[in-house]
Amino acid sequence: MIQIQGLVKQYGLNLVLRGVDLQVAEGEFVTLVGSNGAGKSTLMRIVATLLQPTSGQVQIGGWQLPKHAAKVRRHIGLVSHQSLLYGDLTAAENLDFFARLYRLDNSSERVMAALKKVGLFARQRDPVSTFSRGMVQRLTIARATLHEPDVLLLDEPYTGLDQDASQLLDDLLRQEHSHGRTILMITHDLTHGLNLCDRTAILNRGKIVHQVNSRDVTASEFLALYTGYTRNQKDKAATP
Amino acid sequence: MSEHTPLTRASESESKVFLTAVWAIVWKDLRIEQHTRQTISVMVMFSVVTVIMFNFALEANLDAARNVATGLLWATILLAGTLGLNRSLAIERENQTIDALLMAPIPRNAIYLGKVISVTLFTLALEVVLILLFIVFFDKPLWRPVVLLVLVLGTIGYVAAGVIVTSMTIQTRSREVLLPVLLLPLSLPLVLPSATAVALYMFPQQPVWGEVQSAVSIIIIYDLLMLTAGFLTYHFVVES
Repeated sequence: MIQIQGLVKQYGLNLVLRGVDLQVAEGEFVTLVGSNGAGKSTLMRIVATLLQPTSGQVQIGGWQLPKHAAKVRRHIGLVSHQSLLYGDLTAAENLDFFARLYRLDNSSERVMAALKKVGLFARQRDPVSTFSRGMVQRLTIARATLHEPDVLLLDEPYTGLDQDASQLLDDLLRQEHSHGRTILMITHDLTHGLNLCDRTAILNRGKIVHQVNSRDVTASEFLALYTGYTRNQKDKAATP
Repeated sequence: MSEHTPLTRASESESKVFLTAVWAIVWKDLRIEQHTRQTISVMVMFSVVTVIMFNFALEANLDAARNVATGLLWATILLAGTLGLNRSLAIERENQTIDALLMAPIPRNAIYLGKVISVTLFTLALEVVLILLFIVFFDKPLWRPVVLLVLVLGTIGYVAAGVIVTSMTIQTRSREVLLPVLLLPLSLPLVLPSATAVALYMFPQQPVWGEVQSAVSIIIIYDLLMLTAGFLTYHFVVES
């Protein structure tokens, strides 16, 4: 579903991505972990059609980016640490607006169903600015999946969530995965990353340096592996 | 991408897609304004204070006040307009909602035109208040059809240029300063004929259409140029 080959992104002299290779099969849930500055968000913005690569290939559903970005957009949804919601609109108005942008049939029914799915039906007429962080993140998932995308992109979705809200987000993501949606998530949260996904990849200094099936490693083994790579990065950065 | 193909309306024409997106953005901006009343109220407050201050400053010489009234009218519209532009475009930076717009399967030009229409509506609402203020304070006959036509056309051109400039400056730290510095000189070819045309109607002896025709023609050409430039460049501005 997602194919990335030799992806490079450069800002001036700063090489952020140095030839990323990653494949995500249809219906697969892949988590990408990496330390700050590893290039995770840049990679996510390229896959989300928000940024153009310097070189390399990115294909989603067989469509090349950025050439066919307009066709791909209908098939992807993004959940990021920013809600991408209007705080001054109500929950229902936000979803209604995105239903209009995606020109969805039966938009009112879909909006209500989406609000029920994330447990916000009773708060549909409240402005999003009055919501807790956990509620905002649930509404963000409703927004990102309103148009039934084939690919769900998650950019640090656990940022700022407490234990209960993280648990609710886990449940929602499991639900989305069980519906056959392809999911690519980037996160700092190794525990959530490993528990939920089929495969985990480590992004270090702009390259995928390790990939592992989540069932094949324990959390402590993966943590040791991850720490080894990130420590190497810090050592190299400290070397004059 | 078969299982989760979005249930959107099939075989829509490009123009229908475009107009639906434009209307969605205008609807959303009007809804936000209906809830918050922040944009129009700030513009009106600024304008009322400006007009009252000038009225007191020029109180000693009513003739002088009447002579500068046209210039004061346009200066107030331009400065209050920058407040409206900044507010309207800043909404899309809060919670990074611009990313959600850019990821939606809609033409970039639709976002531009939607913003132009909503800010034009806010500015026209301000102008209704300004017309009343100028009638009260300066005894100026601003309700004449040609004056109203010039105000509407001038506002469209100013906002068409303003949305492009604001989209560039909104990402900078010094946006409040940069916007007027860039936009006001760009508006000069619009303001000069607009002020000239309105000034001709401020005297008891009314001009014939031929006297204002050239000014109105320049305003229309400016409007078309700015709208065309906006259509051609907006996607570069928001994607860069």
